[in-house]
This record gives sequence, structure tokens and C-alpha cells, in this order.
Amino acid sequence: MVKNNFLKRINKYILMYLGLAIVFFFILIAIFAPFIATHNPTDINLANVLAEPSKTHFFGTDELGRDVFSRVIYGTRISIFVGFVAVGISVIIGLFFGLVSGYFGGLVDTLIMRFVDIMLCFPAFFLILAVITFLEPSVTNVMVVIGLTSWMGVTRLVRAETLSIKTRDFVTAAKLQNISNVKILVKHILPNVITPVFVAATLGVAGAILTESALSFLGLGVQPPTPSWGNILTAGKDNITFAWWLSVFPGLAIFITVLGYNLLGEGLRDLLDPKISKK
Amino acid sequence: MTPKNYFILILIIATITVIGCTDKNGESENANKNVTENKSIPKQTSNSNTDDSQQDKPFGDIIFEGSIGDASNLIPILSTDSVSHQIASHIYNGLLKYDKNLKLTGDLAKSWELSNDKKSITFHLKKGVKWHDGKIFNADDVKFTYETIIDDSTPTAYDSDFRIIDNITIIDDYTIRVNYQKPFAPALNSWTMSILPKHLLENVKITESSLQRNPIGTGSYEFVKWNPGESITLKANKSYFDGRPNIAKYVLKIIPDSTTMFMELLKGNLDFMSLTPLQYSKQTNTPKFKDNFEKYTYLSNSYSYIGYNLRNELFKDKRVRQALTYATPKEKIIESVLFGEGHVATGPYKPDSFWYNPDVKRYEYNLEKAKELLTEAGWEDSDNNGYLDKNGREFSFTLMTNQGNSNRAKIAEIVQENWKKLGIKVKIRIMEWATLINEYIDKRNFDALVMGWSIPLEPDLYDVWHSSKCSGKNLNFICYENDELDKIIEKARLTFDQDKRRKLYYKAQEILAEDQPYTFLYVPNALVALHKRFKGVEPAPAGLMYNFEDWYVPENLRKYSLTQ
Repeated sequence: MVKNNFLKRINKYILMYLGLAIVFFFILIAIFAPFIATHNPTDINLANVLAEPSKTHFFGTDELGRDVFSRVIYGTRISIFVGFVAVGISVIIGLFFGLVSGYFGGLVDTLIMRFVDIMLCFPAFFLILAVITFLEPSVTNVMVVIGLTSWMGVTRLVRAETLSIKTRDFVTAAKLQNISNVKILVKHILPNVITPVFVAATLGVAGAILTESALSFLGLGVQPPTPSWGNILTAGKDNITFAWWLSVFPGLAIFITVLGYNLLGEGLRDLLDPKISKK
Repeated sequence: MTPKNYFILILIIATITVIGCTDKNGESENANKNVTENKSIPKQTSNSNTDDSQQDKPFGDIIFEGSIGDASNLIPILSTDSVSHQIASHIYNGLLKYDKNLKLTGDLAKSWELSNDKKSITFHLKKGVKWHDGKIFNADDVKFTYETIIDDSTPTAYDSDFRIIDNITIIDDYTIRVNYQKPFAPALNSWTMSILPKHLLENVKITESSLQRNPIGTGSYEFVKWNPGESITLKANKSYFDGRPNIAKYVLKIIPDSTTMFMELLKGNLDFMSLTPLQYSKQTNTPKFKDNFEKYTYLSNSYSYIGYNLRNELFKDKRVRQALTYATPKEKIIESVLFGEGHVATGPYKPDSFWYNPDVKRYEYNLEKAKELLTEAGWEDSDNNGYLDKNGREFSFTLMTNQGNSNRAKIAEIVQENWKKLGIKVKIRIMEWATLINEYIDKRNFDALVMGWSIPLEPDLYDVWHSSKCSGKNLNFICYENDELDKIIEKARLTFDQDKRRKLYYKAQEILAEDQPYTFLYVPNALVALHKRFKGVEPAPAGLMYNFEDWYVPENLRKYSLTQ
């Protein structure tokens, strides 16, 4: 039995490391995109439209003769950038509301948590669609809107942790020394609640990348000529029975990246969860 | 396209689809008599049908057509979308219609005369025409239709051609005279509008009428069923005044995605659909497809263009607009976006039409020339940032188009790249149709647009190009103002002589080509696939559907048999 458990844990870590490898792999691609890409991703070549994958065009060309390989490579930049910034925004908001709500309690807590409930009531994707239609679709707007609609989970997580931490003796000690609330929150509570946020953030990146792809697919995300996995897929949809490479490669890129972040996130959660590691 | 424009498109479709065999009216009446006389002896009915030259085509089978969109309202004066009008064209008739060579001919009207002062038209109506509910059609219905269209409480987009009518007098049940305030050349065309049944509409508010969903007309097909978002079913009107159509049922299936629709066609669930250029050129060459389907191609009644908002300082100089056109690779756009299935457009008419002027200034792709023109107009890259500027303003603007038309998005990306070579920064914005119309076009709040117009059979240019149509929500939204063109358009409206009228429009096309308020892009080909079992299909300048009533399926090829 012990051996069995051990194997299970090893397996989990293997998957986590696999996730980590994928995440790093795509980050490297994003950083070195100009060196990896074989063509300029926005160069139109109307003489070579919808060409099949070949030695010059590894992933074929799209409806305007642009190199799909280079577009997928540059698309990585957009996806990862959007993923990180959006999650960054949601984590900052989530941490702030969560800490304040959990620490001060009372009316503040009630107000914040009811606001969270209200936000959770909206179907997030449709809220994003509506807001983007109002604003101009652009990378910045997509990042901000995804960030502003995905902080509720982090808030609840942080609030719960804060509630338990604030009753600990070291917090009481700090209070008795008349240390300001801000300082207590930042120096004593924040470091103790941040770990589960890492897990949520890693999983959040996967979600943000998917949302960005979906928005771009619908034409509401990244605007042409900037390549993104989602808008390459749009062209793929129109030609799905003919030009399989337009759907398969960006689709695989999205699939593998999201899988990577999910594996990493799940692995981290198991690793950090005392209930599981004690077994 | 705005309502008015849909109307124009629809009118075309409407008129070309309802065309039957006008001259053979008498004969078909006889044929109908035969059928009724022999009703009790079915075998003889079929014999007498085969003897009769008019009725020798077998009756039966169903045609399934695919459509991207659903209809909205089946009273055609109230709807502005093409699907509603396509269905309505089978159900209703106008007084006049266009024949296969796009000449006006009688539909509900047997004949018509123009008075000497050209201010009034007298229509002689056909006798014995029945509404689908059995009531007799007469001149009252025509007058009623006119009164409904100009009624202020009727929300119609098509009233402008009727508002200049002074009055309509009913001379007898089958003769009606329309008096205009002044001679108006497009008047005849406006009488291709569907005539509505007075007896069913006179005592109800038209917007509350059940005819919006259960229409009753005089047309070759009768309405059966409408499942919103799914299908619309019509059946042959056996007592149609032009002889009953040969195909027993017509079903329009609504499939919102063209890839799915194409798969349905291949599976055999559809008989008839429009193909995308990609499907037409690359996906229809399999033996299976060729064994089952026939492909047709003809010039469609529409053109694509890039329109410049002339209230914007950037586009006020015609040299700038000419430069943009010089830097637009029209041929290459047709080659890559349409897979070669289209013609370069140089103005608002189809290259194969009577009105088209083949000798206007053409702008072959020439970046050098474009750069020269921009320099002449004072645009230079004085701060060496790669983009042109003038008086401290950078040459950058937003090019807008609507979602759901990937061709327009592709065009936008192609010109964006080409104009960048001139030093012009273009931002593309693709948005939802209603937002684009209501927030940007109607409010004149745009820089440039990739759009399309349908090309009406009536050559009048007033609505899109006359300076008086610049305000409000009118269609000259780029606000092109040219006194010379205004005068030509006004004069052409008063000119009934076709050749003289053509000369005026030739001049108009020269002016538009010189000024380039639009960069005219292309007239695409209409591409359709039709199941091979349908015979009697003859592509003509009017397209394919103009003789739909004459299509038939030989008995040995029949796919569906109907039990009655």
C-alpha cells in the first residue's frame, strides 16, 4: 500500500514537471519568437494562398498566403502576455478585496462578499463579450476585461485564509504592539495567504488564454493583422474541410499550453495541500 | 447594406424569380380547364397533360434550398432582408417584372401605356387572377397597396418612389392609371413591388396582420409552414395564372454556416445552395459531386468597395483617394479572395449591363504613381518615422467593416499591408453589423469602410450619390457632393429614352472614376450548386431563378414522391 501511494505521488510530480516543461517551452518560444519564426507573420503573399505544409512553410499558409508557422509562434507571445497580465490584474484585485474583507470583517466583509456574489452571477464570457463590444476590441481591453471579471475566486480564497490567519497569536501580538493594520496585512498576513493564490493564478492563466482565444476567434479579441491563435482558427473554420492545417496547428498550440498550465496548477495544489502530502 | 439597398437587391431577386411564361397565358388557362374537367379520371388527366405542349413536364418532387439566414416578415413592404423577399417572390407578384434579359415585362399587368407628357402610366391588368384563398384580384388591390405603402403608420423602407405619385385612379376593375407629379424614369421599376391582398388587410393594422407569418398572395407558390430558424415550406399553386409550376414543393432550409450547409448538400439533404469561392473552385471537383450536382456561375448583382468619409480632412483631396486606389491590387484581391471568380469594378454598374461604361479611367496597381500623387498632395514623411505626415498630422485612420463576411476582412488586411507601403497607418476594426450601421455609419462616425452594394436593375444613382442624400441616415454616407453629378442624376431621372439616359450615366461613371469617392473593388460571380435531377434550368443575364416555374424533374429521376 505504501509503495502504491508512493508511485501515485511520483506520477503526480511527473505530470507537474511535464506541465512546468510545457510552460517554460512556450515562454521560451514567446521570448525568442523573432529567431524561431521563418517568415514575417504579417507578410501577405497573394500568390501562395492556402498552401499545404511544406519545407518552406512548416504549417502551410493561410488565406492571405501568410506563413502559419510564424503566426503560431508569434501568437504565443499574445497568448502568454494576455494570460499573465489578465491574471496579474485579477490576483491584485482578489488579494486586496480578500485581505480587506477577511481582516476587517463586519459590514465591509458583507459588502465585498455580496459584491463577489453579484459578480459571480454573471456568466463571465457573455459579460466579457458585452463589454468588449462596447469598448473597442484590442489586446489591452481584452486583458483588462478578463482580469476584471475573474478576481472573485481569488477573493474568496484569500478571505478564507485571512479569517483563519488573523486569529493566530502572532497577529494578536502584532496588534498589541500597535502596529498599523496596513503593516499587519502586508507583512504578516499576506505572506501566509499567498501560496494558494499561486495555484489559482496558474490555473487562471490557462483560463485567460482560452478566453482570449475564444474572443479572437469571434473577432472581438486581437485585431488583424496581429496573429493570435484564436484568429488563425477563425480562418480555419471557414476552410475546415479543405485546409486542415489552419485548424490543427493553432488548435494544438492552445490545447498543449492550456494542458501545461493545468498540469502545473494541479500539481502545485497537491504538493501544497497538507491533507494530501501527509497521506 | 441598409434597408433601401436590401430592397433593391430583393426587387431584383423578386422580379427574376417570378418570371413564368407570360405570353402563354391563354394556353395555360386552357390547360387548367382540362385538368378540372378530367378530375374524376386521373389517368386521362395525365394523358391530356402529355398532349398539351404546356403541361408535358412532369409534376412532382421537392426542392430543398439552403439559406444562411431566416426570413423576418413575409409581407414584403415591411421587410428589408433578402431571405424574406426571396420567399415573398414566390408568393406574390408585382404589376411588372424583369424577363430573362432584364427587360421589363408584364406580370399582373397585361400591358401598360405611358401618356404623352410622360407623367402618367396606365396599367391593364390580367383577368382571372386569384389570390391563394380563392378571391379575385383586381385594381382595388393595386390602389390599396399604394395607399398602404405611403401610409405614415406603415414602417416601410420603400415609400420614396411612391411618394412622388400625385394620385391613382381606378378606371375599371382591370384598368388603373397612375399620375406622377413630374416625369420619373424609375417609375416603372417601382411597380415590380409585390401587390398585397386588400380584402385581408384593409381592416387590420398591417404590423399586426397574420399575413406577416402566413402570407397569401397571387404567386406561383402557396405558403405552407414556417418553422422559425429551421425551414420555410411552400407548395405549388395549381391554379396559378401563368400555369402551375412543375416542382410540387419548395423548402428553404436555414443553416447559418456555409461549411455545414455544404456538408448537408454533399449528404443529399439539400439540392440548391450558393457556394463560397473556395467551395466552388477547390471542393467541388470530386467525382461524387460531379455525378450529382451541376455548378453555375454568372455575374452577381453586387459590388464591393472601399468608401472614404469625405468629411474627414484626410480624404478631401481627390489625389489622395486616387493614390489609395492606385495602391489597391484589385486583380490580386479577386484572385486570392474570390479565387478568380469576379470582375474588376470601375463604377456602380455591372460590367455586362446596358449602363456600364467600359472606357472610364482605370487604376492599374502602381505604387510609384500613388506615392507621386501623395507627395503632390503635400504628404511627406518629415519626421522619418515611416509614416506620412502633413502639418503635423500623421496619415493614419481606421478601416471598418462588418463581422461575418470574411472576404471583407481579408480585403481590409490586404489593403492595410499595401497602404503601409505608401506610409499610411491603417487600423482595422471589424464589428457587429447592427453596431456598425447604427453607431458608425448612421452617425457618419467613420474614416473608411469596406462594404458592398447590390446593383439594382433600375440604374438610378440618386439614393447613393446625390448630395441631398448625405444627411440623416441616408445612403450617401460618405457625403460625396458634386454639383455636376447631381445635375446628371436629376436629368437622368426625367429621361425615358434609354439611349439618352445611358449617355448621362456614362458621364456619371467618368466623374466617379475620376473622383474616386469609393475605390471600386469587384463584382463577384454568383456561384451555385444545383442537383442534376432538375431540368429546364437556363442561366441568363437575369441569373438562374427567373424561370423557376419551368424547372422540372423527369419522372425516372424523381427523388421524393408526394402522396396527397
